[in-house]
Amino acid sequence: MKKKILTAMMTIMAMSAAILGGCGDSGKDVYTIGISQFAVHGSLDNCREGFLAGLAEEGFVEGENLKVDYVNAQADTGTSAMTADNFVTKKVDLICAIATPAAMTAYNSTMDTDIPVIYTAVSDPVEAGLANADGTPVGNITGTSDALAVDAQLQMIREILPDAKKIGIIYTTSEANSISTVAAYEEAAGNYGFEIVTTGVTSLSEVPLAAADMVKKVDCITNLTDNTVVTALQSVLEEAGKANIPVFGSEVEQVKAGCVASMGLEYFELGRQTGKMAAMVLRGEAKASEMEYEIITEPSLYVNYAAAEKLGLELPRRYATDAYQSFEEIIVE
Amino acid sequence: MALILSVLEQGMIYGILALGVYITYKILDFPDLTVDGSFPFGAALTVRLITMGLPPVVTLPAAFLGGALAGACTGLIHVKLKVRDLLSGIIMMTALYTINLWVAGAGYVAIFNQDTIFENGVVNGVFPGAAGRVKTAAVIFLITLLSKLLLDWYMSTKSGLLLRAVGDNDTIVTSLGVDKGLVKIVGLSIANGLVSLGGCIYAQQQRSFEISIGTGAVVIGLASVIMGTSLFRKVTAPRVTSSVVIGSVLYKGCVALAMFAGIDANAIKLITAVLFLIILVISMDRRKNPGGGLT
Repeated sequence: MKKKILTAMMTIMAMSAAILGGCGDSGKDVYTIGISQFAVHGSLDNCREGFLAGLAEEGFVEGENLKVDYVNAQADTGTSAMTADNFVTKKVDLICAIATPAAMTAYNSTMDTDIPVIYTAVSDPVEAGLANADGTPVGNITGTSDALAVDAQLQMIREILPDAKKIGIIYTTSEANSISTVAAYEEAAGNYGFEIVTTGVTSLSEVPLAAADMVKKVDCITNLTDNTVVTALQSVLEEAGKANIPVFGSEVEQVKAGCVASMGLEYFELGRQTGKMAAMVLRGEAKASEMEYEIITEPSLYVNYAAAEKLGLELPRRYATDAYQSFEEIIVE
Repeated sequence: MALILSVLEQGMIYGILALGVYITYKILDFPDLTVDGSFPFGAALTVRLITMGLPPVVTLPAAFLGGALAGACTGLIHVKLKVRDLLSGIIMMTALYTINLWVAGAGYVAIFNQDTIFENGVVNGVFPGAAGRVKTAAVIFLITLLSKLLLDWYMSTKSGLLLRAVGDNDTIVTSLGVDKGLVKIVGLSIANGLVSLGGCIYAQQQRSFEISIGTGAVVIGLASVIMGTSLFRKVTAPRVTSSVVIGSVLYKGCVALAMFAGIDANAIKLITAVLFLIILVISMDRRKNPGGGLT
């Protein structure tokens, strides 16, 4: 019995080796890339779609001259590491890593190879050990950061709420992205006459409690791209609605779901920018080890008129033309 | 090749964790959830010590002792405060979450360019010119082997025999005039020491710490123990420790095979669960056969 299992396993391995060997280098008519996404998450999915769109614009079209191997690690670092090793075994031409843990494991797995890694949705590449303080890569790895446009967001809140004093932020204490963004908010808030009130949570179940307490103390809430809090966004909106205070988002999905407005990232755009970087690397025009990581310089304004109306808020008139996208209803998916 | 090495590496690392789970689950009959906290605890201690510039080899005993301390706390909560076994573990696991953040300093910490137990002067001297991954696998193999042998040795000492007796029939232990609570505390310490050691090696193999690495660690450990002991059910101590490690490698192998075959990653967990169930059912069938007697 044991022997049979062993034989079967060996056969499978031999077969897969043969298949792989057979489709080896074919003069690069078809490029193979591996996408390692850390978790299932609206923003990250948008990132991936943008990435493929960016590649397509540069002439790398999935199904034509591009083969895409996509694995989602379901927020498990062990699976994420194995995903990267799997890509290394398959000798892909490039690995696209979405979100910080995926980028870190991909870099770790490719250290001894010449496979380039292009990451996206990494808030702080320096903190994650993927880039030097001057923005240059630490190895054959580069990409885009989704650091929030804190100043633009504060300025927007000031425009909408001229009398507000305190902004509340709920964040997860284990998410390094959130901690660094909170620090950035605390540093910049004074310039706009705001005071930041923070509450840290450790799990999803604490978010509603934190929100219920928070709404009593602040004039408005602003969201980060904090995975846990974003997942529980509806409970935050509910508590804020009861207290009649607005919640500002950090990207389009949150505004769609009922935040009043955001000066935020368009993850699809971020992914597209990343896709173009990947295209340069694939074409051999640039090396990932020599490209500095990029950020989105122009944040986009999103507004939700339905959410504003619910609170009796009047939005600046010019938003009608300035907004990258505006919503007339609250869409909860 | 990298994937096979990855399976071996991760399998052996989680094999050390599985040795710990084997002590609590199979020997002490104690469902210990501390594991989800002590695994990242070892990793957190490790990145902290390495970023402080200490020689990487120090991390191994440090992580073991740290984990042992956590295990002892679970034991004390259970034995002295009379909290139920499952709850004691949950309490410690929850406490360790915060402690891990404190120790590591952040939710994730990278040690890409630091010396580790795999990348340092001594190891590079022993394996000159060896590819990084082979070197890593070799070092992990040595540590796992050593952990297994030490555990085998301990099990043959008087203290180890008492530990086994507590799980089987604790009245005997009491009649020998030994405090069974103390034996449990010792068992939990050793178990979580091993788990934490696994976390220590994991952090260095991944060259990073991430707060969520402990999530589900106990499940992987249990799966490995059950796979190992069910597939090789005729073996007895000390070889049972080897089968636990092999079980862990097989577990990771299944995950890798599913991934390599291109099965939707979203389905992997479900497949794992089904596989797990099949092995359990098969092993139970055999148990009911001649001789009977459910354990």
